[in-house]
Amino acid sequence: MASLSEEVLLVVKRVRQRKQDGTLYLMAERLAWGPEGKDRFTVSHLYADIRCQKISPDGKAKIQLQLVLHTGESTTFHFANESTALKDRDVAKELLQQLLPKFKKKANKELEEKNRMLQEDPVLFQLYKDLVVSQVISAEEFWANRLSLNSVEHSLSNNNKQEVGISAAFLADIRPQTDGCNGLRYNLTTDIIESIFRTYPTVKQKYAENVPHNMTEKEFWTRFFQSHYFHRDRINTGLQDIFSECAKEDEKGLKSMVTQGVKNPMVDLLSLEDKTLDEGYGTATVPTTSNSSNKSLRENSNSAIIKRFNHHSAMVLAAGLRKRHQILTSLFVAFQVKLQEAIEYDDLQGDSGRKTISLNLKKSDRYSHGPIPLQSQHYSTSQDIINSISIIQHEMRSYKPRLTQVMSSSAASSAITALSPGGVLMQGGGQQTINQLVPTDVQSELKHLYTAAGELLRHFWSCFPISTPFLEEKVVKMKSNLEKFQVMKLRPFQEKIQRQYLSTNVSSVPFFAFPVIFFFSVDNFIS
Amino acid sequence: MKLNIDGLLVYFPYEYIYPEQYSYMLELKRTLDAKGHGVLEMPSGTGKTICLLSLIVAYQKAYPLEVTKLVYCSRTVPEIEKVVEELRKLMDYYAKQTEAKNDFLALALSSRKNLCIHPEVSALRFGKEVDGKCHSLTASYIRAQHRSNPSQPVCQFYEEFDAVGRQVPIPPGIYNLNDLKDFGRRKGWCPYFLARYAILHANIVVYSYHYLLDPKIADLVSKELAKKSVVVFDEAHNIDNVCIDSMSVNITRRTLDRCQTNVETLQNTISRIKETDAAKLQEEYRRLVEGLKEANVARETDMYLSNPVLPDDILQEAVPGSIRTAEHFVGFMKRFLEYLKARLRIHHVVQESTPQFLKDIYEKVCIDRKPLRFCAERLRSLLRTLEIADITDFSAITLISHFATLVSTYSKGFTIIIEPFEDRTPTIANPVLHFSCMDPSIAIKPVFGRFQSVIITSGTLSPLDIYPRILDFRPVTVASFTMTLARTCLCPLIVGRGNDQVAMTSKFETREDFAVIRNYGNLLLEMSAIVPDGIVAFFTSYIYMENIVASWYEQGILENIQRNKLIFIETQDAAETSMALEKYQEACENGRGAILLSVARGKVSEGIDFVHHYGRAVIMFGVPYVYTQSRILKARLEYLRDQFQIRENDFLTFDAMRHAAQCVGRAIRGKTDYGLMIFADKRYARADKRGKLPRWIQEHLTDGSLNLTIDETVQLGKQFLRQMAQPFRQEDQLGLSLLTLEQLQSEDMLQKIAQIAQQA
Repeated sequence: MASLSEEVLLVVKRVRQRKQDGTLYLMAERLAWGPEGKDRFTVSHLYADIRCQKISPDGKAKIQLQLVLHTGESTTFHFANESTALKDRDVAKELLQQLLPKFKKKANKELEEKNRMLQEDPVLFQLYKDLVVSQVISAEEFWANRLSLNSVEHSLSNNNKQEVGISAAFLADIRPQTDGCNGLRYNLTTDIIESIFRTYPTVKQKYAENVPHNMTEKEFWTRFFQSHYFHRDRINTGLQDIFSECAKEDEKGLKSMVTQGVKNPMVDLLSLEDKTLDEGYGTATVPTTSNSSNKSLRENSNSAIIKRFNHHSAMVLAAGLRKRHQILTSLFVAFQVKLQEAIEYDDLQGDSGRKTISLNLKKSDRYSHGPIPLQSQHYSTSQDIINSISIIQHEMRSYKPRLTQVMSSSAASSAITALSPGGVLMQGGGQQTINQLVPTDVQSELKHLYTAAGELLRHFWSCFPISTPFLEEKVVKMKSNLEKFQVMKLRPFQEKIQRQYLSTNVSSVPFFAFPVIFFFSVDNFIS
Repeated sequence: MKLNIDGLLVYFPYEYIYPEQYSYMLELKRTLDAKGHGVLEMPSGTGKTICLLSLIVAYQKAYPLEVTKLVYCSRTVPEIEKVVEELRKLMDYYAKQTEAKNDFLALALSSRKNLCIHPEVSALRFGKEVDGKCHSLTASYIRAQHRSNPSQPVCQFYEEFDAVGRQVPIPPGIYNLNDLKDFGRRKGWCPYFLARYAILHANIVVYSYHYLLDPKIADLVSKELAKKSVVVFDEAHNIDNVCIDSMSVNITRRTLDRCQTNVETLQNTISRIKETDAAKLQEEYRRLVEGLKEANVARETDMYLSNPVLPDDILQEAVPGSIRTAEHFVGFMKRFLEYLKARLRIHHVVQESTPQFLKDIYEKVCIDRKPLRFCAERLRSLLRTLEIADITDFSAITLISHFATLVSTYSKGFTIIIEPFEDRTPTIANPVLHFSCMDPSIAIKPVFGRFQSVIITSGTLSPLDIYPRILDFRPVTVASFTMTLARTCLCPLIVGRGNDQVAMTSKFETREDFAVIRNYGNLLLEMSAIVPDGIVAFFTSYIYMENIVASWYEQGILENIQRNKLIFIETQDAAETSMALEKYQEACENGRGAILLSVARGKVSEGIDFVHHYGRAVIMFGVPYVYTQSRILKARLEYLRDQFQIRENDFLTFDAMRHAAQCVGRAIRGKTDYGLMIFADKRYARADKRGKLPRWIQEHLTDGSLNLTIDETVQLGKQFLRQMAQPFRQEDQLGLSLLTLEQLQSEDMLQKIAQIAQQA
């Protein structure tokens, strides 16, 4: 099992697992343990599967390292080399600490995606509970064709959730408050931290580097606020300050932005002038040669503030736009477009000139009709509505009350009584619908069963036509799944219903039996 | 549509027309008929350019012998490109209507930097480098060397053009800079020299002011343009400054140091050449004796910078004997240089006239006026003889020689000011010699004299009578046009007080006042909450903006503004500002909204439009007076008073108001656009200031909006913006501010139109 090509990063001997001596291997992508004297691993975990590691507290007799997997299982290793146990464990721990985060992201992305889907879609969640938790089908099977399906849909709607922009004033919102005893309090929320990170990636980097290894989170932010980076109008940055590097980095970023130049030649001030005056000509005062030296400190700090605001705004803007696709048009075309825009007078032109952007709708009906309750399957098109409105208007216009032919008041009142609840015409069954008869919990259970059955059938039918042995295997499995579902879920439900309602309302039985009947047909089909 | 402008058939490439456009064309036609000059003011965004083009092209077509060429001068490269595109539109329309093949040649001309297609040369970033490199590949002696020694690199594109390009005329059509480059690439010809050659027979030339106004360049490029041309200066509100700049020189200690090395290089080269090729220097000497200064035909490529003085003032005689030989000339330059160095070693400010300077130089170092006048000419000849490849290295000595020629040529209209240090930093010695032109009419005089019609036009030329005075010409038409509006899409407001009733003003005594700064901040803050998309705010000077931004930062005003909009600020670095500007537009584009803090007279205020959502409000903080303590300005004011009877205050106010109008006018383009114009200074309410705003702004300043508080401004602004945000359709405008052909021809409309133009 041990493939030789794997790179072994660390080998720790004399590690016990389940009271058995063995060797622990940390490899590039997984962690493995093999018992003494055997050349195969009995324990092997991909790093991606590991949720976290735990260590026994210092001073305990047994020096242990526990790995908790995403599935909830855990594996415990006991470092048994008396002299170096503690060191061994720490080395392993350190290495894992570095390795795990790298894989975590990969694993989590999928997991998060699943989690998110379940959270966002209660129906799916219920289905998951019905099918996976009750072990009708395995989780893998459940996700097998769901993820791919969804990922396509998601890439279309661009991660579903809209990226929230950053308020330009997020730093202003953390006004310091005096805490009464010669100190300042800054109130930070996760939103603000998020904003800081997104706007200043260098700070985020610093955070990742230093927290929690070198300092606590609190310490980090304290230093952040103390730093000149935050109070940028002061110019001298101390060397010890961890943020001085950030400031430099930002400076560099700003410079590179500036040297990159602008894409829109209409705003490029450098190439605006056709022929600038040569040096020494003109009346404008010559810019002093020794630029920064003879500027006062105050002037320097002022220009630092200005620079900072420009940079800040640019970063905020960029953070908001990060996800947007860059439209790649050549400079030349862009310039042409800008020029045309600049010379166009749309009111002098005929009405043809107006360019519009067409609305891209996935479901145009929903757009034109607004949200509607899901049950009503049939709705009229807007044309119908307009027509009917005009018909009604038309009728209203031509309507003339024929006052001589109205009903007598006594007849009218008796008709109203007859039509009121409890009146002559309102009696008799048939009016009560199923959803008034059956309690809601039964209804929802039925609904769940129905969707679950639908899901299973979808899996089942997706196997046809059976072209590969794999599909054949799946069909058989799905059939057994269906049977299992029938036995475990449908039968008990059916019996329950029969027990409770058979006596009261016969008419509903065929309805409840529907899935069952359907199932039998499937059975017949297979056999 | 086809218009009848006073008997002239004009093709106008739109279906509709603004009444003022019609009126503008009428005035323009009258000017051309009279073969005189005109000053025309029409608001920006009412389609001046297309009117000018339509009418002049029609005129050219109707009277090809009367007007042979249109020379359209604009300020910036994007504006030049815009003009060419509008022209293309017009020509397309002509082609469609008349179905005749276009026989017009129209082209844009720009510097080498924008036209070069040589792979190495065009990769250089700065215009000066490109020019220098180009010269080193195309100068006649380089090409001569190439003939004997093929390994000497030359520019293939120029060679190709020189060989065949002149015989075959460029086919008729509209060429913008890119078209020229494409054409050049296809043919393998140099687009720059092709364009320079082609402007001589082109019907329409579009280029920048400098090609006509800067004598150094005009002499090279525009010398042979036909007299029967119509010259248009668009966006001409700053034309006087362009004129002045092109004839002024500043000399610092650094210039002199570099000049020193230049002189040494020259000396070394001369002694080297003397050993190897003395005949060359002899030949030059002989030529100078005979006064054949351009005998071997000024090859276009050899001319790097021409004489800095106007053509009429160049002496048509032989170079005086004292500087004829190369060594003597270098010695002469050395002496002059030493003199200048000595003049810069001063501890107090010196101001003198040019005759005084010449007298002093004669007394101190015995330099005559005459050899000084030939300095530029002589240096040029020497550089050519010595076959200096990289001319850009010699910019310092060229500058000094130009100064020498200028100072000895003009006795009036110039002043010399030597300052030992900058006013702001009196402790740091940084002596500068300003040789400053005070009379813009000097540079523009040949243009008025030479060309049949010169049109000066812009959105902001008020008060109209001042331009003819300071540029010293007699126009036949002077007119200002208002913007006819179906809805008042501009809303000028004068904010004079804060909510605390403290007067708001950028007056020197109170500008640093805490309350003033705070009120300015509150105004911006309030506006940022009610104005959608973009707001542009202009300050009177860069230093003032820096100070205000710093105090706003300390007071937390900026942070509050940031809750509403992103903030971008103009800096003194053009690249940085460009980036800020682009980001600003991006923020307006994506709906976040932004504020741009900028400076009147800065690059942004001069060259960038803030149309539609890029500028829904413009705030002018203070009155943008020029820095009045400057000695150059003082000298100029004095000169204006003595020569043109213009009072200092009148000129200062005029100058401030034209810049203010320029700033606020940036936000309006066309009648579908709208914007608030907020003048945040109580001084704007005074009649002398208000009266100097362009008529199209003045008209909408009601008595009720003259001295508002911030709250009142916000109320009025809100109301205005809500009104403007309603849909505005073409039908709303038709018949009022937008006309069809039939409407235009109706009798009472023509009467109404006659009132649009206001003769000054």
